[in-house]
Amino acid sequence: MIETNLDSVAQQSAFRHIHPGTKLILALGSLIICLISPSPVVPLISGIVLSLVLIIPGRISPLLYGELLLGPAIFAIMSVVVLLFMLGGGDVIWRFNPVPWIDLSITTGSISRSTLVLCRVFGCSISLFFIALTTPMTDLFNGMKRIGIPIELIDLMMIIYRYIFIVYAQAVEIWQAQVMRLGYSRPREAIRSLSLLCGMLFISSWIAGEDLIHAMDCRCYDGIFPSLDSAEPVQIQSLIPVMLYLAALSGILLVITTRVVIFS
Amino acid sequence: MSIILETRDIRYRYPGGQEAIKGISFHMRRGEKIALVGPNGAGKSTLLQMFNGMIRPTSGTMLFDNEPIRYDTPSLRQLRKRVGYVLQNADRQIIAPTVYQDVAFGPANLRYDEQAIRQAVALALRQVGLEGFERRPPHHLSGGEKKRVAIAGVLAMDPDVLVFDEPTSGLDPSGSEDLMELLDELNHDGKTIVISTHDVELAYPWAERAILLTDGQIIREDVPDVAFGNTKYVRMAHLSVPTLLELSVELGKRGFAIPERKPRTVLDMVHIIENHLSKPYAHTAPGTITVCNVDEGETSSLPAWVKARPGIIVGAMGTRAKQCAVQEQIALEFTYGVIDKCILRVLRGQDSLILTTGSMVSRVAVRVEAYCKESGNTINVASLNTTNQPPVPGLTKEEVKKNDPSC
Repeated sequence: MIETNLDSVAQQSAFRHIHPGTKLILALGSLIICLISPSPVVPLISGIVLSLVLIIPGRISPLLYGELLLGPAIFAIMSVVVLLFMLGGGDVIWRFNPVPWIDLSITTGSISRSTLVLCRVFGCSISLFFIALTTPMTDLFNGMKRIGIPIELIDLMMIIYRYIFIVYAQAVEIWQAQVMRLGYSRPREAIRSLSLLCGMLFISSWIAGEDLIHAMDCRCYDGIFPSLDSAEPVQIQSLIPVMLYLAALSGILLVITTRVVIFS
Repeated sequence: MSIILETRDIRYRYPGGQEAIKGISFHMRRGEKIALVGPNGAGKSTLLQMFNGMIRPTSGTMLFDNEPIRYDTPSLRQLRKRVGYVLQNADRQIIAPTVYQDVAFGPANLRYDEQAIRQAVALALRQVGLEGFERRPPHHLSGGEKKRVAIAGVLAMDPDVLVFDEPTSGLDPSGSEDLMELLDELNHDGKTIVISTHDVELAYPWAERAILLTDGQIIREDVPDVAFGNTKYVRMAHLSVPTLLELSVELGKRGFAIPERKPRTVLDMVHIIENHLSKPYAHTAPGTITVCNVDEGETSSLPAWVKARPGIIVGAMGTRAKQCAVQEQIALEFTYGVIDKCILRVLRGQDSLILTTGSMVSRVAVRVEAYCKESGNTINVASLNTTNQPPVPGLTKEEVKKNDPSC
């Protein structure tokens, strides 16, 4: 199970060795452009382009990528269906009036605004996925230090990050042991088993914490948590395409906005 | 050899009141390989943790470098820098989210500067054969790799003594053998090594001195064949007699001539049996052992050299030699117990090549010489200079004969 989490995918990404700053510029840049775009075309283009980049040169399995997108997609579609009926404006296209006090209608205005929301969600989530799928947490710690997040907080984050995987692996082990002995076969037992699992995890985390202090003492801990050797420098050959892409996206945005203004 | 660590009648009582260590006195000399053997709950871990001051004995004296250990923070830091402790569970020892950060943990806390930290980490990772793993998170590593990261983390502080609590627990058999070989390599670089284990088969051929511990007391302390040879003590310590030792005792009862130095390897055992059957080894003329130091010169000509000698057996000794073999795509027959296994093959008339590194080169000649002396056989050791000069004989028949009056 640990093999398929986002962080592991990021560790194996083909873009792993590009400077995290470059990747952040690309992801945050397209996120902002998607958010401010008044037209659904720009987020749509951004989403499609970033997806293609992730799948083709990024070598992310399309199957895994599809699975990942399914979550936000289901959520977005459900919300958009509600928005379709909630928003108004323009001509009524379809009306559903089962009983006198319920009046559901879809108008041209609600369609165009829901489409915009849907496309924005699509574009923005893919921008975020781009970061999640190409930049492992370990690469972000250095950046956090540079932008002035307190070092104590980062040290804590690093230890927590390290222990998430240990505690998770332990939870899976206990859970499997319980399932093997039919611990979740009936609701009553399931509740009991889950409470036992939580208790066991608490105790083992406590012991792990004591061992952590022990291990740190063994290596002369004196308040210093070393940071990762500085990453590869910002490479022009990766930064330039990112800049060009963002410029192109802003260009499209500008053209569409002016046209929208002119036509309206 | 000078004494580096000494305990004088130390005792330790748990806060609960149970006495875990009941008066232990022993010493450790610089450069020794010691195995602390005993059943679960014998107090092995407790004793080991006293070596780097993690546990303070209730009474008795601990000496490091002939000075009593002091338990104030600066002295403890100094002690822990010099006595490295590798925990049984590597997952518990690896603290940081990446390999680099974890190995850098010790040096950073010893206030090395950035450059020195980088150097220490690079050297430690090189010693354990994990170059290129710097940015990997620990949960992506195998059990053996994690163990190596844990060892690198300790090596980065350049300790004099390395303490291993159950070093091979959780490793597969070949991983265990690899690890024991790494310990040998470190020992060869001058580190004093103490391990705790209940695996007698592992401790028997490896250790220079075995200490049987049970119920918080030392019941026997001697060279492994004596310590493990006494069935009474072995039974007291809930252990078993190593197979080779048991076999040699049984063969001795059946009239085989068992040398004073009990067999510690398969090679020794084969020698005893063949001697008894009074068949000399060399039905065919023995082959030659060629030693190649991969640290010197170019290794790219090696594959061609090996290819030109079909049927040659190749073994690699030491981490860097193994890496070199992988890099040059040379198939390795042996990766542990290399010298003995090569001698066994050479005696059957096959040639063999041992890839190894700087400090270990001399070990081959020493071991072969010792074997020749004991067995009266003659084996040629040649050194292969990778710059493709003609091989220079290391130990010729004449030299062996000169050393061995029985020849």
